Amino acid sequence: MTTATSTPTAPAVAASIPDRTAGPGATRRYAREWLAANLPASMRADSLDWQSPTLEQCRVWEASMHRAGLAGMTWPKAWGGHGLSLVEHLAVNQEVGRLLMPESVSSIGKELAGPIIMTVGTEAQKNAFLPAILKMEEYWCQGFSEPDAGSDLARLRTRAVQDGNHWRITGQKIWTSGAAKAHYCLLLTRTGVVADKHRGMLMFAVPMNTPGIRVVPIRSIDGKESFAEVFFDDVVVPDSARLGEPDQGWSAATRVLSIERATNRMYRAWRFEAELAFLVRACQSDARLAKRLDADMARRIGEIVGQIDGLKGLVERTVTQLMAGDGIGARGSLTKLWWSECHQAFAGFARSVVAGVRPDSSPLARRALDYFTHAYLFSRAETIYAGTSEVQLDVIAQRILQLPKE
Amino acid sequence: MMTPDPMTVANAQDDAGLRPEEFAEAAEAPIADAKDREPRAAARVLAEAGLTGVAAAEDCGGLGLPLAFALPIAEAAGRLQLRFPLVEQMLLARALGGEAVRVGRADGQGDGQTGAAELAGAIASGERLATIAWQGSLADGFAGHARGAADSDWLLVADGPLSGDGFPAAGGASLIERAGLAIETDDALDPDQPLAWIDLSKAKVLASLSADAFAELQRDAAILYAGFVTGAAAGAIKTTATHVATRVQFGRPLSAKQAVRHWMSRMQLATEASAAATRRVLEADAFGQPRDGVPTLAGAIANAAFVLEKAIHLHGGMGFTWEMPLHYSLRDIRAIDAAFGSSQLVKDIGWRFIEAA
Repeated sequence: MTTATSTPTAPAVAASIPDRTAGPGATRRYAREWLAANLPASMRADSLDWQSPTLEQCRVWEASMHRAGLAGMTWPKAWGGHGLSLVEHLAVNQEVGRLLMPESVSSIGKELAGPIIMTVGTEAQKNAFLPAILKMEEYWCQGFSEPDAGSDLARLRTRAVQDGNHWRITGQKIWTSGAAKAHYCLLLTRTGVVADKHRGMLMFAVPMNTPGIRVVPIRSIDGKESFAEVFFDDVVVPDSARLGEPDQGWSAATRVLSIERATNRMYRAWRFEAELAFLVRACQSDARLAKRLDADMARRIGEIVGQIDGLKGLVERTVTQLMAGDGIGARGSLTKLWWSECHQAFAGFARSVVAGVRPDSSPLARRALDYFTHAYLFSRAETIYAGTSEVQLDVIAQRILQLPKE
Repeated sequence: MMTPDPMTVANAQDDAGLRPEEFAEAAEAPIADAKDREPRAAARVLAEAGLTGVAAAEDCGGLGLPLAFALPIAEAAGRLQLRFPLVEQMLLARALGGEAVRVGRADGQGDGQTGAAELAGAIASGERLATIAWQGSLADGFAGHARGAADSDWLLVADGPLSGDGFPAAGGASLIERAGLAIETDDALDPDQPLAWIDLSKAKVLASLSADAFAELQRDAAILYAGFVTGAAAGAIKTTATHVATRVQFGRPLSAKQAVRHWMSRMQLATEASAAATRRVLEADAFGQPRDGVPTLAGAIANAAFVLEKAIHLHGGMGFTWEMPLHYSLRDIRAIDAAFGSSQLVKDIGWRFIEAA
């Protein structure tokens, strides 16, 4: 594949994405050609030119993807989207997945805040927030989890008390990804007491520069500080920051989450496959690692190919069902659980394969050691975030199999 | 015994707009009826319902429908534990009605298309029983791993040695008369339906499939067998879900135990992944290229074996008994596993990925 130079400046924008009548094949071809021409080698993790991108470089890259029609595909044109369907969204994601490019630095905005605002936001909120998300002008963080409310959000304590035309918010959030860089927080609060459980929850779009907000970064297992504790000390926001009525925001969030769990980062199966190919190429590039490519390794790789095959099937079935107007319900849990457990196991396997890399190993093998060591450590989170594996198993047992508890 | 509506599936297809998924529902009654019949009677019931010829050409007496309509029938056969080679009938009725068939000798001395439609039609109509040997070849002089071989009139065997793992083969295949051929059986896995090894030294060839036609049949077979074993897994989950919801131990149903619930969820997850992958492989990719069904088959076999083994476990002592019929599905899955050599298939998939990386 031809790739662009390693200079991470604003890439040239190609012709626009084909419309829906052209079919998913045309969309894939366009995405493949555009990405090949515009993705800098420095942003490809399997390239020897790789350089860990800065936030600004990621912003420029993602903004250019949006201008090229490769982000915000299903959002209405009125809010900066491209008015396409999930079929085109999937086609683009398949191509995005084929390349080991950086994860989005605005996934909370694009995949969570945006869809919720579209569902319950006022027209003013939609106009104010949605285009800025796609243009990469504003980042969002997700203020849901709390120290006593991880998997069980019904226990959250952060309170919102109405004071005239304002709300006073006090509480603490934790494991808040991207809080340090975020312009807004999609904040989940309660208007009553903890005993109310899911009743009385209220959602806000809170500017992160509001007085009373304090962000304390948390160093994670991979050595990075990508998430944080966020303290809200009598933070005052106007009523216009409220997203929906009490209960409405949470209700919308659960609906959106069930769809997003099945549709966000839809490229994962194809990225997984690209990672597996990178591992093999790294082994082939190095005389010592090449000896690992034996029958046992072939068997393990064959198993992983089968797992990826299943994941692709689950993802594409979701698109088919959504396009047919069917609800997703609990089936998003199937995709999330299958991906997270298979990918986590793969990351451990990949790390074990490259663990023997030494200073005299091939440059690509050394690149792979760095990549898969990070992947192994970060994958510990994959069975935790967006609902732990145990939560997903409970969802499947309860809502799909409908097994009685008593 | 249930009495099926004759031409159930054919009638259902007349109902404009019927989707492949709805075929499963229409297929259940004749499959349930055929289940307890001897093979030739079962063949007639299934043929009258339009199942054996669902994907065969219309001029061969089939319904001429795409393979997508055969898949839910294969799934229903697995789910209802049909121990009759319905998948093989559907595959052969479809392949023999195709264009790349020569009737006569394997060396191509036959008279071309003449008679091919009759062969396909005889299978689609249930007049003749046929099956497919997934191991051995005419060149080897023996063949095996053909479900229902002892009761069959005809047997499809590969012409030349099969590639290392036995699947997929590189050459063509021939349909031979089964009568008169010596059979050696091995009942270690399945006393009711023992594995048969057939001596081909006196084989009489009726028709030959070109290499392309045999390759297409093998691709179709990967999809339908994946559907069959996934259906078997789905049936086992349904049976087990009922058991754990009603079997009370320690004062509560087994399903109240989180460990049991999570095993059930993992069984459901594996089965859904197989089902979704099998549906996907039916469709060409975005660029119009056919997808490889071999990873799907290998994954489906592994997932189904996991589900059946765990289903038996969750039935406790009952699961270990012959009376609890889950073992039939486990035997069927392991027989298909052995026929295709799925562990070698997985290695081959890995080697192909390594070469293409």
